[in-house]
Amino acid sequence: MTKSPVWLSERVQWIGALDPDMRSFDIILKTPNGTTYNAYAVRGSDGVAVVDTVKAECADQFFERLEAVARYDEIKVIILNHLEPDHTGALPELMRRAPQAKLYISQSAQLMIKALLNQQDVEFTSVGTGDTISLGDRTLKFLHTPYLHWPDTQCTYLEEECILFSGDVFGCHFCDERLFNDKVGDFRFAFEYYYAHIMRPFREHVINALQLIEPLPINIIAPTHGPILRDKPTSYIQRYRDLSGQGLQSEVNADEKTLLIFYISAYGSTTQMARMIRDGAEQVAGVRASLYDMEGGDSDLFVDLVEDADGILIGSPTINGDAVKPAWDLVSSFAKINVKGKLAGAFGSFGWSGEAVRMLEDRMRGLKMRLPLDGVRIKLIPSLDELEQCRKYGQEAGEHLMGVNAPRVIDMATLLASRKELIN
Amino acid sequence: MAKAKVTFSDVNVTVNVPVGTRIIEISEAVGSYIAYNCREGDCGVCLFEVIKGKENMSAISKEEKAVLLARYQEIMDGWRATKDIDALQAKMQRENFIGKNCRLACQTQVFGDVVVAPL
Ligand SMILES: Cc1cc2nc3c(=O)[nH]c(=O)nc-3n(C[C@H](O)[C@H](O)[C@H](O)COP(=O)(O)O)c2cc1C
Ligand code: FES
Ligand SMILES: [Fe+2]
Ligand SMILES: [Fe+2]
Repeated sequence: MTKSPVWLSERVQWIGALDPDMRSFDIILKTPNGTTYNAYAVRGSDGVAVVDTVKAECADQFFERLEAVARYDEIKVIILNHLEPDHTGALPELMRRAPQAKLYISQSAQLMIKALLNQQDVEFTSVGTGDTISLGDRTLKFLHTPYLHWPDTQCTYLEEECILFSGDVFGCHFCDERLFNDKVGDFRFAFEYYYAHIMRPFREHVINALQLIEPLPINIIAPTHGPILRDKPTSYIQRYRDLSGQGLQSEVNADEKTLLIFYISAYGSTTQMARMIRDGAEQVAGVRASLYDMEGGDSDLFVDLVEDADGILIGSPTINGDAVKPAWDLVSSFAKINVKGKLAGAFGSFGWSGEAVRMLEDRMRGLKMRLPLDGVRIKLIPSLDELEQCRKYGQEAGEHLMGVNAPRVIDMATLLASRKELIN
Repeated sequence: MAKAKVTFSDVNVTVNVPVGTRIIEISEAVGSYIAYNCREGDCGVCLFEVIKGKENMSAISKEEKAVLLARYQEIMDGWRATKDIDALQAKMQRENFIGKNCRLACQTQVFGDVVVAPL
């Protein structure tokens, strides 16, 4: 493998690192053919800018390429689009070798950089959308694009050449030394996978960022991982637009709220409960409730619905002291999206111990969902009274969803006693 | 025994409690969306907002103050809180957050009527 830099344009070179043997990234991502850490050097008439660095283990490749491009004393600025260690591992050494270079980071990276370098007196300039720095005949302009996928992230745009240094945005884990999207192997799966696992939980932030990016003329998108996108770069922006969009338009009105009721049942008791809960919720004006049997679908399908929903209830019988796998699969899939603050609850039929409901509730509480009600647990086949309890539960869930639940006053002793009863 | 009223505004529930009760003893039972992790004043996860009655709460200790500050920085820094961070940040800055409007639910005791909400 030659360690020479690669030209993107007359003034811009790739000085990153290839990591073909990496197989899993940040623990949660699989990387079947490794990844790259892309860093770039931009030469202007007044000096050189280094945009991002690489992870510490790959620093040698980075410095070798950088040295082929510029002398350390020519480096005027270091721009950090993202402080995660895979892009800042080589930073401390770069700062030692080019002590005159000024650091530029986003406004929301100011506290983080101190923690990263373990140094309180780091000198840096924080920049936001519209700020520019001049390298003489080349100008770098910043876009504040936080939470893609850390709070500190930003993009940098080279105006004269219409190159967008996008950080992790539009990146993917795919290692191919041919580097450019019109030369490398088929990386489409990696692009989609990266979006789904890294960017999707921040959908609203993706949409905000696209609003800044879409008006720019773009010749090349230069992300920090994977292929450099020079062939039809805007199609990748469009893909982010599509992925962050809603698919089919929603038929729910703005003043309505959606409640999804997922259930699964071996003998039909939990099914009966689910139907009554739906009926109860539907009694509350503005609630649009839907029922889904988890046996007839899988979590990959349901998670799209959950992403758009206001409230989620999950029904599972207790089998061998636990909720059943489809229920757990559904809850696990919530990590791929943002469920924080959504109303949640659980219910289910049981035979003697009935752990499922509390376990599901605890897990959803852990995901920072909002659980204002204790879920209904019914022993074996629901009686008429018990079905009425389900209806009431659905109604109360609906009222919480719409914010119209009646104020309640209760004594602490009563509250804790009822709670204890529920747990035993 | 002297009583106090704790109102959780997110679930619209008021609990009559004996004076000296900690918020943590009741917030989960009413289903309020205040979250816990360590339960002993170390992690700062149980940050909540005091809407009314801060004078009816136990005094803030040096340790609680430090955890609140660290948590505040972590929220601004960290990628865990994904939504509304700008609003939270602006609000906390505007309102000089330590000891005023935010407290830790696992530490704070109530001695009179208060209204609280998750952050
Ligand atoms: C294989 C098996 C294991 C079970 N394990 C438990 C258990 O550990 N605890 C419990 O409370 N009920 C247990 N049950 C009972 C079911 O929860 C009970 O029959 C319930 O009413 C089923 O609800 P469904 O009609 O919605 O399927 C078990 C049932 C089966 C078939
Ligand atoms: S739960 Fe950790 S500080 Fe309160
Ligand atoms: Fe990253
Ligand atoms: Fe990265």
